[in-house]
Amino acid sequence: MQEKITALRADCTQEIEQCTTSLQLQEVKVKYMGKSGLITALLKGMKDVAPEDRPKVGSMVNQLRNELESVLEKKTAEIAEMELQHKLKSEKVDISLKSLDEPLGTLHPVTLITQQIQEMLIPLGFKVLEGPEIETDYYSFQALNIPKDHPARDMQDTFYITDSILLRPHTSPMQARFMENNQPPIKIVCPGKVFRSDSDASHSPVFHQIEGLVVDKHLTLCDLKGTLEYIAQNLFTKDTKVRFRPSYFPFTEPSVEVDLSCSNCGGKGCSLCKGTGWIEVLGAGMVNPFVLENCGIDSKQYTGYAFGIGIERIAMIKYGIPDIRLFYENDARFLRQFKK
Amino acid sequence: MKAPISWLREYVDIDVDIETLCRKMVDIGFEIEEVDYLGSKINNIVVGQITEISQHPNADRLRCCKVNIGSEIIPIVTNDQHIAVGDKVPVALHDAHTANGLHIKKGKMRGEESHGMFCGGEELGVTADMYPNADMDGVLVLQSTATVGEDIRREVGLDDYVLDFNITSNRQDCNSIYGLAREVAVALGKKCRPLDVSYTVSSDTNTSQLVDVDVQNTELCNGYLMQGVTDVAIAKSPLWMTSRLAKVGLHGINNLVDITNYVLWEVGQPMHAFDYRDITDKKIVVRSANKGEKITVLDGKQYQLDTTDLVIADNNRAVGLAGVMGGLNSGIKDSTTTVLFESARFSRENIRRTSRRLGLRSDSSARFEKGVDGYSPEVGLDRALNLICQLQCGKVTVGRISKTVENNWNNNITFEKSRIKQLLGISVEDEKVKSILESLGIKCEIKGETISCIAPRWREYDLRLDCDIIEEIIRVHGYDNIFGTLMNDTAITIGGKPQHVKAIDKAKGILVGMRYNECIFYPFAGSALYNKSVKNYDTSKNIALINPIAEDLAFMNRELYHNMLQCISLNHSRKNYKLRLFESGKVYLTDELPLQQLPIEENRICMASTYAENIYQFKQEVLQLLYSYVDDVKFVEGTSPWLHPGVSADVMCGNECVAVFGKVHPEVAKNFDFATDVYAAEIRIDALNAHADKTFRYQTFAKFPSIDRDFALVMKEEVHAQDIVDCFTKMPLCEDVKVFDVYRNAAQLGEGNKSIAVTVTFRDKNKTLEDKNIEKQLSSCLKELQEKYGATLR
Repeated sequence: MQEKITALRADCTQEIEQCTTSLQLQEVKVKYMGKSGLITALLKGMKDVAPEDRPKVGSMVNQLRNELESVLEKKTAEIAEMELQHKLKSEKVDISLKSLDEPLGTLHPVTLITQQIQEMLIPLGFKVLEGPEIETDYYSFQALNIPKDHPARDMQDTFYITDSILLRPHTSPMQARFMENNQPPIKIVCPGKVFRSDSDASHSPVFHQIEGLVVDKHLTLCDLKGTLEYIAQNLFTKDTKVRFRPSYFPFTEPSVEVDLSCSNCGGKGCSLCKGTGWIEVLGAGMVNPFVLENCGIDSKQYTGYAFGIGIERIAMIKYGIPDIRLFYENDARFLRQFKK
Repeated sequence: MKAPISWLREYVDIDVDIETLCRKMVDIGFEIEEVDYLGSKINNIVVGQITEISQHPNADRLRCCKVNIGSEIIPIVTNDQHIAVGDKVPVALHDAHTANGLHIKKGKMRGEESHGMFCGGEELGVTADMYPNADMDGVLVLQSTATVGEDIRREVGLDDYVLDFNITSNRQDCNSIYGLAREVAVALGKKCRPLDVSYTVSSDTNTSQLVDVDVQNTELCNGYLMQGVTDVAIAKSPLWMTSRLAKVGLHGINNLVDITNYVLWEVGQPMHAFDYRDITDKKIVVRSANKGEKITVLDGKQYQLDTTDLVIADNNRAVGLAGVMGGLNSGIKDSTTTVLFESARFSRENIRRTSRRLGLRSDSSARFEKGVDGYSPEVGLDRALNLICQLQCGKVTVGRISKTVENNWNNNITFEKSRIKQLLGISVEDEKVKSILESLGIKCEIKGETISCIAPRWREYDLRLDCDIIEEIIRVHGYDNIFGTLMNDTAITIGGKPQHVKAIDKAKGILVGMRYNECIFYPFAGSALYNKSVKNYDTSKNIALINPIAEDLAFMNRELYHNMLQCISLNHSRKNYKLRLFESGKVYLTDELPLQQLPIEENRICMASTYAENIYQFKQEVLQLLYSYVDDVKFVEGTSPWLHPGVSADVMCGNECVAVFGKVHPEVAKNFDFATDVYAAEIRIDALNAHADKTFRYQTFAKFPSIDRDFALVMKEEVHAQDIVDCFTKMPLCEDVKVFDVYRNAAQLGEGNKSIAVTVTFRDKNKTLEDKNIEKQLSSCLKELQEKYGATLR
């Protein structure tokens, strides 16, 4: 019996050592330690051992089993590690190539700028509204203090559909539409397409504006400047400055043209700002009392400010786009650049 | 508005350089479009005096001159035969540039040294309006007063700037040299000198003896002044006058016409001069035109008038189209001896309408359209008569006919001082307010808290309310005094986006996630494009523009896909073949044309891909978008003419079509020259959003195990897989049905048949299922499949 055990130990240890795969190891385990394995067979042979020797032989067999199990366990771990390393090695890929497909979709630069301005203003309490693009003459002009045949109509060449229906030349009609139905406090921002019948490198017959309107007590020209500084500094850099120049719009009084310190040169003067250090970006002003009263708002008690920002203009400055026509051509090589 | 600095200087001392002047004018609201230095086209040309002339030794037609240019005497060879020793002439020196594009260099002419060239008016860019004899051929012989060696620009009046101001439409008064001079004075802190409007009445004739004026339409003409000039001597105007007119782009014609132009430009009052001989019956009538009345005006063209037009007439006929142009029948001629000056005020709205309708514009109509104030006719006529006297070209008649309607402009504007702070957010000291307003000609009195102002007559059109005065204060005080605050004292409001905007933003996010690039197109197009995507496209339902910029941009779009297909075509032509594009835009829909009310503006999304390898891949992307809004949609065979009829679908939410998608029709693809297959969809995002279920609730899922059964069914090719799936899904215990194979084999299945293989999953929420639980419903389902769709188990 003793010899049998010794031989079995040697055989099994050797067989375990020779294993190179977990499958082989499993076979060895079954052969020796399985239900009908050799060690089990050994135990079955106990009946041939003298009764007085049985405890001793029994413990020898158990010891053998324990020894072999630990050898097996060790080998199992070794092979598992080896196999893992092999798997990792064999699965290795060349990750260096960039994607064959476009990695990202993009939003149009007009959408990007519009969304950025909206996201800045919403936390200040501005409601976003969209008005009709096909508008009445009344809301586009008359309600904004621009009567028929008034010279201020020359400020924009308007597309007409009928005598009294047109393509809005600015986003300002929403001022009147909203004020007619709402009393202050009013804080709204209205983005959208606007239309003018001229077209060249810096003018497109279709472009986008975002209109801001605030009406409340204690609202001043300083607040207009502060709001525009807030927008400009968030769109460009923290040190962007805002300059007002006197101007004229029939629906605001005072009216101002608004320049920003040039984001390209920081105000020193460059080709973008034509050496002036300033870039004209928008028109604004304090809402004309005529417009307030016409919409049923008491102009003695309330003041308002309004501004209209040209989105393409901002995008051209911010992203360095040289020609407004690029926005509407939609060449994929243009569109794919605006990854935020 | 063009203004020569030299003309402005007549009224205000300008002691700053041109850049400073421009900056200061911009600061007070006068944007400058262009600064034109009149001498910019020429350089290195000086006044020279000829000291010696000799025949060229080698050329009969050339002469050799010695010319004193102040610093030295230089040799010049010329072909001019008229100049003589002692003449002062313009000399282009070495490296000079002339107005007609010559670059002069030192050299030899036929062996003789020539260090420059003599110039005529053409080389200098001056006409006889600016310098005597400048329009004669050959070398310009300068006035004997010219200083030898001096820059020629100074001698001929080219050393001058013309500023082109962009005048905002509220400042009609600044469409004149004098109006601008007033603002220049404010900008520079100077006093503006008064206009010389004095004149002497020297004729024996009374104006009322010459003419009687009857203004019949006082609504369209609320001021009409007339005064005569007798013993008129028509002649050329003096150089100082023609040279000023030349600098703003006008030619000298004769003294009378030039005076009217000069007054228009300087004072801003359009004037007209009638030849008295042509006014029949000594009568001027200002009346509405008769319907169909014809008039031939000074440009020689005949116009047919309407009753809304205003004419100046005598007893027989119209002699002028009021405010626009005088009649050819009564214009100034060389033989004119007596004239009637008209200085009037016509309704700006009406002049604008008439001028636009007839397509006839003049300096006069342009000025009237902008607005002439109630006092301007008086000043204009005074100045015209003053110029008559200055030019000594006639005798002013006695008395003036004046038909003026009382001006109802209230130029007294009174407001509380606190209003300044209320509007501007800053206070301005009383003294400052006073000095600013007075510099602008606004009389101002501050008593306690009240500011009372009397606006000057020339500001009739824009000074009406307190805020107008406050704007004047701040524009002169300077907007740099306004500091930014962020609405610290306003009420709290709740910001946010409306639902439909959020829905569109969400769609954009999903599409960008699917690697689509956003496009934006013009929302109008034309038949040529529409016909590419739909044969004989019917534009009668499209909203049309009256004044499109081009025929191909004349209709408001009723669908988005036209522009999208065009865009793919453009990209393909530029070898951008692989595209995933989308647009979120509006279409404009109406049932009634011409429009009586505003149309429906429907938000849509158009997406197109050339990446998709088949319709199923594209459908998956469309579905991803649709299912972000609604739980369930139905796909029925497509009906869109621009899509492949067999590879497209209409997507239904209930009975409403919320989207169409498919492969672009091969004919359409050919029209657009697509290089690859194009899949496209047009989604009605508003409609889709209206179907969105906003009240979503969690559903418990079953814990008991499911049973899967596979079936292969043979049926006609036309049977829709979704119908088969729906039939299985109807079974009470059916949880899911998945199609996993479609098999076609004519030999095995018969011609025109297909086999669809599905896995049907059954589950009971309350217990573990056994086969026997499903047998009954399954057999009735299979029976229905056979009866309804002819689908049999394979």
